[in-house]
Amino acid sequence: MLIQDNLVLTRSDPSGMGGTQLIYRLKNYGLSAVNRPQEEINQIHWEVEVIKFKDDTVSSFEVCHTTELADKTLKFYTDKSLNEFIEKSFQYFEELGSLEKMLPQEP
Amino acid sequence: MANVVGSSVCRTAVDEGKPADWVPGGEKQTAVDPMKMFHELPREQLFITGSEAARESMRRANIDIAIAYPITPQSESMQQAGYLYDEGYIKEYYRAEEEIGTFSAISGASRAGVRSLTATSGPGLMRGMEAISSWPGARTPIIMLNMCRVINTPLAIQPDNIEMSFMLNTGILMLHAENQQDFYDFPLAAICASEQVDVTLPAVVSVDGFFCTHARGPVKVTPEEYKLPPRDGWRSAVPAMDNENPPARISRDAPIQKSNFISYHMHSSWQQEVFAAVERSAKYFRKYLGSLVEVVNPGAEDFIVASGCAVSQAREAVRQEGEKGRKVGLVKIKTIRPFPTEEIYEAVKDAKRILIPEFNQAGWLHKEVCSVLYGRTKGVIKNGPRVYGGMTMPTEMILEWLEEFRKEVK
Repeated sequence: MLIQDNLVLTRSDPSGMGGTQLIYRLKNYGLSAVNRPQEEINQIHWEVEVIKFKDDTVSSFEVCHTTELADKTLKFYTDKSLNEFIEKSFQYFEELGSLEKMLPQEP
Repeated sequence: MANVVGSSVCRTAVDEGKPADWVPGGEKQTAVDPMKMFHELPREQLFITGSEAARESMRRANIDIAIAYPITPQSESMQQAGYLYDEGYIKEYYRAEEEIGTFSAISGASRAGVRSLTATSGPGLMRGMEAISSWPGARTPIIMLNMCRVINTPLAIQPDNIEMSFMLNTGILMLHAENQQDFYDFPLAAICASEQVDVTLPAVVSVDGFFCTHARGPVKVTPEEYKLPPRDGWRSAVPAMDNENPPARISRDAPIQKSNFISYHMHSSWQQEVFAAVERSAKYFRKYLGSLVEVVNPGAEDFIVASGCAVSQAREAVRQEGEKGRKVGLVKIKTIRPFPTEEIYEAVKDAKRILIPEFNQAGWLHKEVCSVLYGRTKGVIKNGPRVYGGMTMPTEMILEWLEEFRKEVK
């Protein structure tokens, strides 16, 4: 069972290539996890991006490759490994949110 | 020498390497009323492919016999059916020589009064069309899973549902699954509707191949210890064949099978009854599926009418428009036959713009919708976007078409 906490959207992959996209959100950061069709079932995997939201809507975000979590698109071949990463990312996003609050705010 | 180990007459479970006390999975299940299965039993959410969703549906469908010939992208599902046969959830299963043989054999099985399942994809469906088009007139409640793919040259194995247009006027019940969840629910509903005594027709559940069959999605399933009641072959519009007393007559009304002597009156009245039975099936689909359509944002000025995977893309377009404060309606068509004429009309009767996205070159759904709305609504119906041959339909494409449509029709 995939982690349901902070899961704000489950949708058909908007690229139109089939498959499902899950969007997790914690404060201003989150994860996009997509699995797409593969010719062999055992090749199906998750492609995961760390994302940064632009506003309060769930589909307005950009891919973020500048965190310590990931500097590229990540691949997970099992739900278990994806869940472990999601849990780790939640902790990181909590800390990141606190750190960002300490930065000087733009006027 | 039946039931003796090693007998070529009748192989037993022991011959298959199973323990002597092995009990087929199907015999451990409890048959429940279909309404209880659809609406009352608790459901557990799995995250599985469309092929696996079909397997879980078949597991609960009390299938007596499955016959199929492999073709991409159907093969995966029927491989899963093989596992069910091994586990004892499907009583008989074999791979036929090709599709004409498959669809002729499954017709014979269904005429004998047992619940019969087959599956195919694009070119396989086209190869077997002669046999398939004989099913409704023979009143055989066969269930066929159809994983749509390209049929026209240049040939490809990618999703494209043009093949559905060839079945529209055969008298077969047709459902179009949007996603993995539908590919679990629809076959069960189709079986129950098709076997009603005032229906007794074959049913095809189509799904857009690969996008759904070979990708994972959330599917809520009922506990596997429950299954549908068995088919009662005698409760049927035409009697089942008595295969234990050959030679069996394939029809109660012998002239029906004698093409040289058949009267056109007989043919026409028989066919009228087939298509009347299609319409009568609507009440059962409403009962099992809740309705023939799903309507999102009723009363909107802009509407998208779609079936299959196009619904998923349209659903996301509707959601994104909602984020921008624009209300766009969506009609998801679940049953293509019976076609939900009044439901569609009621949903879009006040709409200004009606967009019909499709995954095929023919635009068959657009034609169907036009034929039922002609002269009844003032809304402008636009044919598109249409993609085919495996092309994708990104959400942005639907959003762009909507934007253009608003400029064209103020």
